[in-house]
Amino acid sequence: MALDRRLEVLAVCGVGMGSSLMLKMTAEDALRSLGVDARVENTDVSTARGMTPDVVIGQGMHTSEISELAPVVITVSDFLDKDGLEAQLRDRLTDQGWLS
Amino acid sequence: MTDRAEASVSRQAPVVTATDAVAADDWREAVRAAAAALVAAGAAGEGYPEACVRVVEENGPYIVLTKGLALVHARPEEGGLAVGVGVTRLASPVGFGHPDNDPVDLLLAFCTPDPDVHVGTLSALARALSGGLADRLRGASDEQDLARVLKEAVPDA
Repeated sequence: MALDRRLEVLAVCGVGMGSSLMLKMTAEDALRSLGVDARVENTDVSTARGMTPDVVIGQGMHTSEISELAPVVITVSDFLDKDGLEAQLRDRLTDQGWLS
Repeated sequence: MTDRAEASVSRQAPVVTATDAVAADDWREAVRAAAAALVAAGAAGEGYPEACVRVVEENGPYIVLTKGLALVHARPEEGGLAVGVGVTRLASPVGFGHPDNDPVDLLLAFCTPDPDVHVGTLSALARALSGGLADRLRGASDEQDLARVLKEAVPDA
């Protein structure tokens, strides 16, 4: 079943302004390539705990702390690797039935 | 250590610095050196380098965004006086303890006085990094060339 609303995506890092902004831009590019209607925000791990996104993306040292936060939690080590992130998003969103 | 700060800084144009062949024994020294260039250029306060070190101590080496490159920064309230971006090329690479992206030979330091005004500059930087900025910086001939390449990547963003 396709998602009948805009996908809420959260890019996280430690401070929530620099690295996660870079990741947000990479994620926006990847989601655009996949044709997914999404809103991507960036924040720090502590703030993320109070949010309810559909997808969380971050480095393993952060996603391991919030692995229960969203139905889809994606770990990336290279914040600029659009193709790698796109491949992970395609697989995981398809698993959820959010991408056909 | 020289820097390439613009003498007069408008609100929009970021301060750009470049330091080359910086000797650092470990990641702390590398982070301090990268942030100190912003302090020397007047874009950040005296406490900024240590604040940047603490970010890594407290949150882990996630600032190593991609292979070999760290984005050195702290929160605006830790001493951001102007929007500044600096590149520091190390004489020899250092390890940050990052599982995938070590060792680091290139550091981009960043500061901003306000959590919102930096978005344009960082966005431009992100676009440039996706477009191969890191390798262009690695290929720069000297400090002046480093500054030129970085300045191209962050035009009055």
